Amino acid sequence: MDRRSMLTRVFKPHPSSQGVSKYTNAVLRTQDNKEVRFYDDLIKGKQCVINLMYAECHGACPLVTTVLKRTYRDLKDRMGKDLFFYSISVKPQDDTPAALKHYAQMRTADLPGWYFLTGDPYDIETIRYRLFNMGHIGVDIDFAMHSGTFRIINDATNYWGHAQSFASQKNIMKRIAWADPWKSYAEWTVESRARQVLINQDIKKYGYRRNV
Amino acid sequence: MPGKKGKHREGAGQKKKSDNTVSRRTVLKMGAAAGAVSVLAPNIITSRKALASIMQGGPVPPPLVQCVSGAASPSHTPFVDDLPVPFPAIDHPLQPKPTKAANQGAGEWDRDDHQRWTQFTPAKITSELEARPGLHRFHSNFGESYIWGFNGVYPGPMILNKYGKSTIVRFRNSLPPNGDNTFGHPEITIHLHNGHHGSESDGFAGDFFPSGFWKDNLYPNVYAGIDAFGGNPGGDGVGDPREKMGTFWYHDHRAEKTLNNNVMGLNGMFIVYDSTDPGHEHPSNGSLRLPGLYGVTDIPLILTQKRFCALDAQGRNEMVNAAGGDKFIVNGKIQPKMTVRNRKYRFRVLSTGPTTAQWDLRLIGPTGNVETIVVIATDANFLEHPVPVDASPANRLNSNSIVGETIQVEGALRVNVAERYDFIIDFGNFPVNSKLYLTEATSQNVNPGNVNPPGLPPGLNIGNVVMRFDVVQRENWFPVDTPAIPATLCTYPPICTPDTTFQWNFTRDPAGSNPRFFRINNRVFDADLPQHCVIKGTCEEWLINNNTPNADGPTNWAHPVHIHFEEFRILKRFAIINGLFQEVTVTPLSRGRKDVTKVEPGEAALIRMNFRDYIGKYLIHCHNMGHEDAFMMVAWHIVPDAAAKAACDALIVQGNKEFEAKLRNEEVA
Repeated sequence: MDRRSMLTRVFKPHPSSQGVSKYTNAVLRTQDNKEVRFYDDLIKGKQCVINLMYAECHGACPLVTTVLKRTYRDLKDRMGKDLFFYSISVKPQDDTPAALKHYAQMRTADLPGWYFLTGDPYDIETIRYRLFNMGHIGVDIDFAMHSGTFRIINDATNYWGHAQSFASQKNIMKRIAWADPWKSYAEWTVESRARQVLINQDIKKYGYRRNV
Repeated sequence: MPGKKGKHREGAGQKKKSDNTVSRRTVLKMGAAAGAVSVLAPNIITSRKALASIMQGGPVPPPLVQCVSGAASPSHTPFVDDLPVPFPAIDHPLQPKPTKAANQGAGEWDRDDHQRWTQFTPAKITSELEARPGLHRFHSNFGESYIWGFNGVYPGPMILNKYGKSTIVRFRNSLPPNGDNTFGHPEITIHLHNGHHGSESDGFAGDFFPSGFWKDNLYPNVYAGIDAFGGNPGGDGVGDPREKMGTFWYHDHRAEKTLNNNVMGLNGMFIVYDSTDPGHEHPSNGSLRLPGLYGVTDIPLILTQKRFCALDAQGRNEMVNAAGGDKFIVNGKIQPKMTVRNRKYRFRVLSTGPTTAQWDLRLIGPTGNVETIVVIATDANFLEHPVPVDASPANRLNSNSIVGETIQVEGALRVNVAERYDFIIDFGNFPVNSKLYLTEATSQNVNPGNVNPPGLPPGLNIGNVVMRFDVVQRENWFPVDTPAIPATLCTYPPICTPDTTFQWNFTRDPAGSNPRFFRINNRVFDADLPQHCVIKGTCEEWLINNNTPNADGPTNWAHPVHIHFEEFRILKRFAIINGLFQEVTVTPLSRGRKDVTKVEPGEAALIRMNFRDYIGKYLIHCHNMGHEDAFMMVAWHIVPDAAAKAACDALIVQGNKEFEAKLRNEEVA
């Protein structure tokens, strides 16, 4: 199992990232039955969007996968390069890599930079708790909780955010952008000036900055 | 001075003294440093030089490691430090000059043009607050801690303003662009809670700006009702003077990171005076003559809780990067003491959260009894009549430490996150040299086992003590006591007649297979989509409802709900008592004008509110900053007219369509 071969780029974590102690370095398997380390191979120095699902789920999971597919399309240029999607199975006892492969293919979601992950139930439970716990036992013991929430992490900037699958697409894109790598002053300036043009258009039309 | 250079140390302005007295010379000096503002506090800036070094800025070494300890904080000795008082911001001309449109050529962030610009400029007062790292010593037993603060200090500088004098505060972001080694995120948007001003100056959560940029917020310091009332001959500017507010605070409101940045220290207080509450105690036209010398007899109490790591190799006790904590902090000091003269004092208490912590404050006298505090203002607004709170049969029902109809802590003043209460304590009622204690219902970690120091009144545990007051005889030079508190403090405008009604449902766990999180009206925070559109100049009746059905039982959580823009009045409260959802008493402290109201699980509040003078994006959210960052925030817009409302409503419809398409598992375009 050459788990390093998946990644060629060097990703540098933020100096204050808690790394393995926060995210764990559990060995997981992808839909292609490759072994990966959760922190070292998937999180370290990268920007990623993580959600929970299981293959036989007929509630929110397919909807969430659809939303992620749509998001993938918008961010295609970055996917697999500096941005990754991880869908983690919360029923690892049922979801073999093959089952996840089937799930991904069935939904045409078997795409580069998007990994469906399964592993030891204890590890998965730990990861679920580390990523999605709300510090409340009633919420945290129920594995179905947070199935519609994306955890957005950028280990290079130590960003920790979230988006919700049922929010508008613009909102999801924005929340992923909020976790982008540090930008330079020049990049920010370009962004801010472009937005000011839109704001001025809004003011002209509606009297105030409406949805810029 | 605690340090060598005095830079970035809040202690730089704090000469350690054996007692809390102010010499006449110091008073004169301070008057010189702060211009015309009354700043006679014993613990604030003592020289121009110290002030200059604080204002200068400079690199602060970042923490060695991210501090994430879950262990108890190191022990401290109670009542060592004097209560500091945040020093006032010093106003000065801004360079470049403020402009109506965003001055992007000079590094200002994008924004709407300032509304009512010609009416309220040139601003009488301009000042600059720079968000930057600093070092702060929370207790003399501790090393310094790395913080983010305005002008590098915690709590941020106090802004003292006057009605009728508009002000521009330039917020400059000089936080480390990579966030240093910390929990904070170096993008900020500053909300003045609860100012009446344009949306571009309101610190809307989605409009944050990164390090290296700045933004001007225009605070006109006017009463609401500018359009209807126009000028006021009283000299307090325009608007309806019955809409007077006093105690504001400013804090970072960055979406998803409000909690982090407030834990780091990005908040401060903001006071606006007018002729009824002029900031001095002399008889003057219209003055209520309340204790009112800022820093002398008018003292802010900015409360928070923090946890600290053990001393590290840099000689620092870093703050733990998490909400909550096991040390009670007042104005940036752990368990301080304050020397008070035997006369009346006004305190402005604020809970900066950041999370569920509610403060059940009681004043414990030398004999262990619960003594009276007289509440004169709730949030920023005077009550019509002062309300005494203590545990006596006559006053116990004045306590707002109440769920449904049950008082939880007898005689307590409950301060929820972001609420402000102004209260008066008359220390003249106590013998000279006695000691009084401000206490909280829960306990902090003072030392292992919380061993009481000698001299505490019977029944009091040191863990519960927030701070101590040491009563001394008033010296000749100290201001004489003010007259009795007036029986009537103000007259409220009549509660408005609603043009329409709306309901906000606060939910944690909607039924069915939908994803579950903190939401309002089933939606999460979206910076671009409003959930409600209001036409400027109308009045609305809103139900703030925390009694929504849940799939897994009555597991709602309590939410201190905050509405931006104008103050509201609570008409009715509802709660579940004996399994029945029914109307309950509105406590005397909730009958005033408010901008935060806590709805306990199963409760609801019916409020009315005006939307006057300005347009733009505003927010309703839970002020538990953990909930707020976890989506419990919704934007609503004030629009200029019916046509704009139609356009605004179309946005809501578009958002709903997309939401429903997602529910049907359709790909949105």
